[in-house]
Amino acid sequence: MDPKKMIATVRAAGRHVLLEDEAKSLLSHMGLPVNLCALAAGEEEAVAAAETLGYPVAVKVRSPDVIHKSDAGGVWLNLGHAEAVRRAYREMAGRWGPVAVTVQPMAAPGVEVIAGVARDPQFGPVAMFGLGGIFTEVLRDVAFRMIPLEPKDARAMITQIRGYRLLAGYRGRRGVDLTALEEILLGLSELVEKIPEVREVDLNPVIAYPDGALIVDARITVA
Amino acid sequence: MDLRAVFYPRAVAVVGVTDTPDRVGYNLLESVLSGGYRGPVYPVHPRLKEVQGLKVYHRLEDVPGPVDLAVIGLNQHATVEAVETCGRLGVKGVVCVAGGYREMGDEGKELEERLVAAARRYDMALIGPNTLGMINTDAGLNATFYPMPLRPGRVSFLSQSGGIGLMVLRKAHDEGLGINKWVGVGNRSVLEFADYLEYLAEDPGTSVIGVFMEGIDDARRFVQTAARVAGTKPVVIYKAGRAEGVNYAALTHTGSMAGSFAVFRDICRQFDLFLVASASELVAACKALACAPLPRGNGVGVLTHTAGPSIALLDRLLQHGCRVPELRPETLDKIKEVLGPNPPVVLKNPLDGAGQAFLPEPYGRLAAALLEDPQIHLLVGIHCLHRHWRFPSRELADLAARYQKPVLACYVSTWEGAREDRELLQEAGVPVYTSPEEAAVGAAALVHYGRRRGVSVCGP
Repeated sequence: MDPKKMIATVRAAGRHVLLEDEAKSLLSHMGLPVNLCALAAGEEEAVAAAETLGYPVAVKVRSPDVIHKSDAGGVWLNLGHAEAVRRAYREMAGRWGPVAVTVQPMAAPGVEVIAGVARDPQFGPVAMFGLGGIFTEVLRDVAFRMIPLEPKDARAMITQIRGYRLLAGYRGRRGVDLTALEEILLGLSELVEKIPEVREVDLNPVIAYPDGALIVDARITVA
Repeated sequence: MDLRAVFYPRAVAVVGVTDTPDRVGYNLLESVLSGGYRGPVYPVHPRLKEVQGLKVYHRLEDVPGPVDLAVIGLNQHATVEAVETCGRLGVKGVVCVAGGYREMGDEGKELEERLVAAARRYDMALIGPNTLGMINTDAGLNATFYPMPLRPGRVSFLSQSGGIGLMVLRKAHDEGLGINKWVGVGNRSVLEFADYLEYLAEDPGTSVIGVFMEGIDDARRFVQTAARVAGTKPVVIYKAGRAEGVNYAALTHTGSMAGSFAVFRDICRQFDLFLVASASELVAACKALACAPLPRGNGVGVLTHTAGPSIALLDRLLQHGCRVPELRPETLDKIKEVLGPNPPVVLKNPLDGAGQAFLPEPYGRLAAALLEDPQIHLLVGIHCLHRHWRFPSRELADLAARYQKPVLACYVSTWEGAREDRELLQEAGVPVYTSPEEAAVGAAALVHYGRRRGVSVCGP
């Protein structure tokens, strides 16, 4: 779907936050590597989607009323068979009624990073990069750059963080694909430049592999 | 808007002059008169007849000649009217000292809007409001309410704070660093940091720009302008407001939030701007850039006769991306010629010449050996004040000229003990410091702008 049209639809519905599947389709439209998710309106559709995608899968609640999905119990990971999908769905339906969900294949393990765009009151759109989990939330090991980014800026953001050695490889561990991460950061910069309605982006996590990277969850706020 | 006319006015009016030194107006006039300004100075006050030997005009309209700059020492309300009058009379620019505008909340904001509207109506440059004023030693003009001795030079400073701005002025004076222009930018209601930077970029008197900043609203324009200016003139930035929770203090000072320091620091890195961590580092960096040539690489050689200061120096140098290269065998041979074949110290960089480096002659030969090493692009010479052993100043000055590489002296001393040496060295293009921390920042600033100018840099 055309990004402008999609954003218009979201705004017409009175929303500012794109749902995960909308955000991912926007990112995918920009050529960014996302773990695409299937939409399922109910339990049977969820199981059918899981069967098609192949197990294990992640099932997440899809509702504009549930923004922080994990905190609310709306994210079910590593579901290995149809029965597990059904149990997850029923648990969520018990909480929110007959909700829609997204189903996506579980991403292979790798190094989790986060990337995003924030609006700084003084600098305007600013790109952000850090390692996932406690590295960003607790240790604040994060790099910022003003958008638009040049390729050298994206590389410098990645090498600047203290946890860079975890990405570069250490003690015999293979490093991750830094170019793939750079491309994601440059893609975010381009997204904001091309579609100024995009206010904030939170890709959390992005899983980095020795070969490539995958955006596993995404949240986008639009004006 | 004509900023040149403001910095080089043909005549100055001091509006709101007073007859006692306990008031701002009196000191504004004293500063203007004591700075060596050659043009006519017109004090204005509705009732006074004579102040500091000058005839006082009762209204700005009564002043006999055209005025380019009006320095206004009135309160915030009367200032708005005075600015309007200045505009009507064709004054090119005003310095508005009074505070009590947008930093005070809604009522002040409305008053500030009226002030700005008056300046804009006449396309008048307005410095401040809420400022100590402005200085241009090039025109002998001290338009602040702090009369003080000023040494002319090539460095210009912009400061969001009068207090830190004064620190910088006093420190520069202490350090033997001459200044060219100085602006307390205050609330930046008409002229922003970026406007002054653009002016200073074109100003022939200025070769280095130092900035003290708390917080600004259009940080995007600031870094973009600073990066462009830094392409031709080094810009050094000291940003306060590093800790979380200082936003309110900054907002109530000059009307802008401090913002996130992590974001500011990273974006300075993105635009390759040199950031320092204190007012003394700001002066130290500007002094090196104003004094010494830019190095052709990031290899720093250090010569000392005492290890500690060289280690403190290294800490900072390495943090700032300088290298301390190993010495080549040829260099070691030259060093052994001075120290003998079996010296009591490990021969390395930093080079500790121990007892041999107490005296200026061998010190000079060791310094020459380091400067001849092609891996070394810049030399820092450390020496401690002694009652009988003079500083190796003549040697360092000669070597700087002979090798055309930047040389910095770090004299473990007070200025009382090193003032004459400092004058000789700085005249010869060798900046002198009394602490290794400041010497390191000076060296790092030179390496930074050497690299930025596209001179080839070896190593990572």
